[in-house]
Amino acid sequence: MNFTFHRKRISGIFVVVPENERSFVEEMKNFNFPLARSLKLKEVMGFDKRRIVPPGACVSDLAVFGLQRLFEQGWLKQGDIDALLLVTQTPDHFMPATSSLIQGRLGLKQDMLCLDINQACAGFVIGLMQAFMLLEQESVRKVVLINADVLSRKASPKDRNIYPLIGDAASITILERDTQDSVIYSNLKADGSRAEALMIPAGGLRLPSTPETAVLEDVGDNNLRAKDHVFMDGSAIFNFVQTEVPPLIESLLAWAGISTDSVDYFLCHQPNRFMLQKLADKMKLSYAKMPNNIVEHFGNSGSVTIPTLIAFNLGERLLKETLHVCLVGFGGGLAWGAMLLDLGKLDFNAIVEYKENHEYA
Amino acid sequence: MNTLEFCQRLADILDIVEVKPENVLGEFEQWDSLAVLSVLAMVDSKYRVTIRANEIRSVVTVGDLAKLVEAKLGEAKQKQ
Repeated sequence: MNFTFHRKRISGIFVVVPENERSFVEEMKNFNFPLARSLKLKEVMGFDKRRIVPPGACVSDLAVFGLQRLFEQGWLKQGDIDALLLVTQTPDHFMPATSSLIQGRLGLKQDMLCLDINQACAGFVIGLMQAFMLLEQESVRKVVLINADVLSRKASPKDRNIYPLIGDAASITILERDTQDSVIYSNLKADGSRAEALMIPAGGLRLPSTPETAVLEDVGDNNLRAKDHVFMDGSAIFNFVQTEVPPLIESLLAWAGISTDSVDYFLCHQPNRFMLQKLADKMKLSYAKMPNNIVEHFGNSGSVTIPTLIAFNLGERLLKETLHVCLVGFGGGLAWGAMLLDLGKLDFNAIVEYKENHEYA
Repeated sequence: MNTLEFCQRLADILDIVEVKPENVLGEFEQWDSLAVLSVLAMVDSKYRVTIRANEIRSVVTVGDLAKLVEAKLGEAKQKQ
């Protein structure tokens, strides 16, 4: 499904990562797993360092921390926020919306929209689309898009298929109208018939959490997981990405009437190095043009990986320059989407560490 | 499809000198989830067909895997 947006822009990106860093090779020693194979996984998949939240930390904690830093820096004024969108799979509560909790904790104005969006790794592209749609309204001048997840809290520490890969993080992206006559193209797809490939089976109302859903079950290969934990069918997701993502990008470029040469970077969701290299191979793109170095530094943080990629690799550069980029998200839902836009002349583009004992104002 | 060439590509993935069609995949020490992903990727790039992970899980020997790829190549030809 195609979308276009006119005279809209991203004006700043700010990423919050927990200060607590874990090492993949060290963590794999907790599993009955040969060191040589851990090292091979590190080399091929890029699993190395990742950040996870301290016990008890929630999405709103990361978001409030980040927004307060932005207010302190003078990069964002409290009263300027007309809409607060939060994309998360790990909300503080079932109800109310975590975006409302963030608004309340920060004492933001009442004359605004707070909206939670339940999306996974395609959630940066989907959040941007929603934000751009809101900016069509005259009364909405500035949208704050927060992408945040603390999925490490829902992963079984005894499941090496997923636990040593996950990173927690939050990003804050500011969206405004553009005075330039810019056009943004986007393409989005969904396939709920494959929803079970990425799922937390229990804890909702279909299968409420009980002592039984907390019982660790042997799921093969000496991995233990409960129904309360996140499940990912890694190889099904690999198939999905290799099959669906190249045509998505190709059709977006065809619709926009440009070739891959006119795109400076393809900034994809970051599940692991291997998957992104295979994607680049399939699309005949150099690895430099489709960077894959986020999982090795921060882990896979769902919809936060694309803003992390932007801030980590292009932090300083995008303060001065403007690049033509293609953002590509894919994952749970299943959902996959791409967006072609000019990104640059940002007011800020940085990563900050979340401190555990931060005192809120 | 050249079975010898397929075996060599599999041997490269498993980081061993040689694999034979009669070898049982599960008996290779290196036959893990990463090897499965690598096979999916290799088949996709070298043979331009898509096999699914659950299809790989149901094959026993190297020869069975080669036959699976061959069957996919046949299906792809029919579609053309």
